Parts: sequence; structure tokens; C-alpha cells
Amino acid sequence: MTASARAEITSEDLEASVRRTLERAIARNIPGLAPLPQTESDLDVGPTPKEMVYSNETARLYHYLPTQDEIYRVPVLIVMSPVAKGYILDLAKGQSLIEYLVMQGHDVYMLEWAAPRRDQSHLSLDNYVNDLLGGCIEAVQRDSGETEVTLVGYCMGGMLSLMYTALNPTGAVRNLACFTTPVNGDGMELYKRWMTAKSFDIDRLVNELGNIPGDFINNSLQALRPLQRSANQMKLLNNVENDAFVKAHLRFDRWAVDQLPVPGELARSLVKDFIVGNKFVHNALTLRGERVDLGAIKVPFLHVAAQHDHIVPAAASQDLLPLVGSQDKHEIVMKGGHVSLVAGGNAVFRLWPQLDRWLSVRDV
Amino acid sequence: MSKEDSMDPIRLWREWFVKSEKSWSDALSEMMGDEHFSKGMGRYTLEALHTHRMFSETMAQYLANLNIPSRSDILDMNDRLAHMEETLNQIQVELREQRSQMARLAAGGVSAPAASTASVRPARTRKPAANLDA
Repeated sequence: MTASARAEITSEDLEASVRRTLERAIARNIPGLAPLPQTESDLDVGPTPKEMVYSNETARLYHYLPTQDEIYRVPVLIVMSPVAKGYILDLAKGQSLIEYLVMQGHDVYMLEWAAPRRDQSHLSLDNYVNDLLGGCIEAVQRDSGETEVTLVGYCMGGMLSLMYTALNPTGAVRNLACFTTPVNGDGMELYKRWMTAKSFDIDRLVNELGNIPGDFINNSLQALRPLQRSANQMKLLNNVENDAFVKAHLRFDRWAVDQLPVPGELARSLVKDFIVGNKFVHNALTLRGERVDLGAIKVPFLHVAAQHDHIVPAAASQDLLPLVGSQDKHEIVMKGGHVSLVAGGNAVFRLWPQLDRWLSVRDV
Repeated sequence: MSKEDSMDPIRLWREWFVKSEKSWSDALSEMMGDEHFSKGMGRYTLEALHTHRMFSETMAQYLANLNIPSRSDILDMNDRLAHMEETLNQIQVELREQRSQMARLAAGGVSAPAASTASVRPARTRKPAANLDA
């Protein structure tokens, strides 16, 4: 710095510089004073490197880049629920099922769903199962060079995976794992009561709105445990000095209200066939003229349910295991809720190692 | 929790709320599952739809007069952007496949379409640890 430049530094500059330095030091050293993340990029969700492999209508298929020198032969395709964004399974480094599976040597793909456009409201359950999921399985086969694929479905993604496997029992599916997957519409008690009320008219709702908005889905989910979000805000206030807690809370909270809209035809089918008609559990559902018979599923099967799941309670999922026709079938009921089962702090010790063990002996 | 925290009545109330939330939520959900509530819910949804439609039509006219885009116009734009995004996605996928094919050819591999990037991927020979059972 020259003498003239030094002379130009005023007392205001010095004061501003000292203030900036102090503010930075305080923010860095006192927990709770760090700037709160505001946007999805601040929260840094979905950190595991991936490439898009296939895109069709609302389906987006990603391949996570392997990090190990040697991987299991059969690729794993994770199928997300059409109402939920996939980053819940890849929230942050060290809090990501995807990252964990990749590090254990699995070749991981994920089928995520994009928000449907208005001209995609015609996409039905049949399209989701046969065209979109079916198309993704073919894309995984092409991309990996393997003829067999292991499906892992989360929530409604599990329903789609079950339907596909039941309709293609001798097809590409080598193993099937489902997390918190509902099969019995009667078990979804609150929805059943609402949707069987004479005043509820799904046809009018779909005809009027086209796609069912994400806010509508979000409000319906929150009605199942109306005060949970408020309680979570209280927990946040009680832990506001813990930066790690605050960041994790914001990531979960963002995901919880970040529901995807559902194509009208898909919503119509879910309400009429699954909740009101309860056809899935009675093997009476038909897609493209073929009956979806869960007994036709013969591949190794795993169902993982959560003990405190208020979205898919035991009554909605406990019939699954007896219905599936596989010889090699297991059900595990773990502590946790619908989301914490797959993405909570305890998932690292509970679900993830169990899933890895189950997959590793079957994906060779 | 520090001693000051344990004496803070607002904090104590928050902790009580967190602990008792499940019971309150269950009670509210039970109430919402009541037959009258369910009927009312269906009616309310239809009425809200009707109101929404009326309001949207009126507002659309009003906004058009003011030369301001309506929600429907924004959704139109969103749909066009989504179309473009989908096209870009398909180009990205296509480019990835082409790149993989070229890498395979450069490596002296065959140009079969299957396993587009298999030549640059790790071997699929991993075995589980010997002490694992099914």
C-alpha cells in the first residue's frame, strides 16, 4: 500500500472494517448466529454426483456415479413416490441413503417425478406403471448393460413397483424392496372417511383443476397429524443454538412442504381404485386390461415398515407380505416414522445397513 | 439444558407442547374423521372450487383490462418452460449416450447400443462379505 493510499483511509472505513470483522467473528463462533439458509441451493440438498439417463413425460431417471472400483452386478433402481421429491433420500453428505448405497458398492439409479404440466393431466396409473416405470427399467437395462434390475420403492413408489412386478413376473425385476408401502385402502382411515363421503366428488375436482396441486396434497398429509409441524417449530426454537440441528430441521421442513402436484387421472385412479374401491389388496385392480395379482410376484421381496408411521399406518401396509407370492420374503418393522425411517439420523444405523445386507447377497 | 433454560416458562411450555402434540393431533384427526366433518369437508371443497372458479374468471378479466398477466398466463409460461426443459433433458441424455459410444469406439470396443457407458464403469464383480446371510 502506498503512502497516499494509506492517507485515504478514513475513520468511517476503519469503523466499517472493524464492524465487519467483528460481525464475522461473532457469526462464526457463537452457535445460532450463522446466517440461516434460505434457498434449496443454500441447503445444498442432493449432493451425490449424478447424471440424467432418461427423461419421458414426468419421469426423470438419474444414475449416481459409482465411487468404488468394484460394484454389485445388478443395478438398483429406487422409485420415488409421485407426490414426493427425491432429495429426501439424498439430503446432505452423511445423511444420504443414496450416498451410503453408492459407497457400499451398489450401482444406484433413481426414478424421480417432475411436476406434471397441465397438458399431462391425462397421465394415469396405467401410464405411470407400464410406460414411465417400464421405460425407466428398459433405460437402466440399456445403460448398465444388465438384463436384471432390483427395484426399491418408497411409499407410493413401492405401489408402482409392486404393480409393475406383478404385471411382469418373468420380466427384468430381480429383487423387490418396498418401504412404507400402502396396499390396503381401508387402512388409510381418515382419507377413506373423507373420500367415501357423498359430498366428495373426485371427478369434479379433477375436471376442474386438471392436476391436483401440491398444496392440496400437503394439506391432506398434514391433516393426518395436524400439530406435528407446530411441534417441530417448537423443537427448532428449543434447539436454535445448535446450527447442525437448525440446518437439518430446515432441510426436512423444506422437503415436507415441497409436495409435487399429481396428474388428475392418476389422482382419480388412486381415489377410486385404491382408497374407495380398495381393489389393490383384493387383487382386483386392472391396468391395461390385466389384473394386478400380487401373488404373481415371485422374486425375493422385502418390506420395511415404520412403527410410528402416521401416513401409512400398519393397517394400510400389514397385508402386503402375505399377499406377495415370493418364497424369499421378509418384513421388518423399525422404530421411526414415515420419513425418519429412510432419512432420519437413526436411519444410518437402522435401515441403511439392513438394506445393504439384503441387497448385497441378492445383487450378485 | 442450562439452569436458566430449565426455569424459562416459555421453553417449558414449548417442551410440554412437543411432548403432548401426538395426543392433541390424534384427537384432532379423530374429530376430522367424524361423519359430519367428512361431509362438510367434501361440501367445503366443492364450494371452494366454485368460488375459486368465479374469482379466477372475474380476476382474469380485471387483470386483462389492466394489461397484467393472470395466473393462467403465468401457468402457460411455466408449461412452455417445462416443455423446453424436457427438450433440453432429452438432448442431454442423447449427448451422454453419444459421448459414451465415442468413448467405447475410441477404446476399441464394439458399437453395440447396450451398456452405453459400461466400458468406463467399474467391474460388476463385487461379492458380499463372507459373513453375511440372507
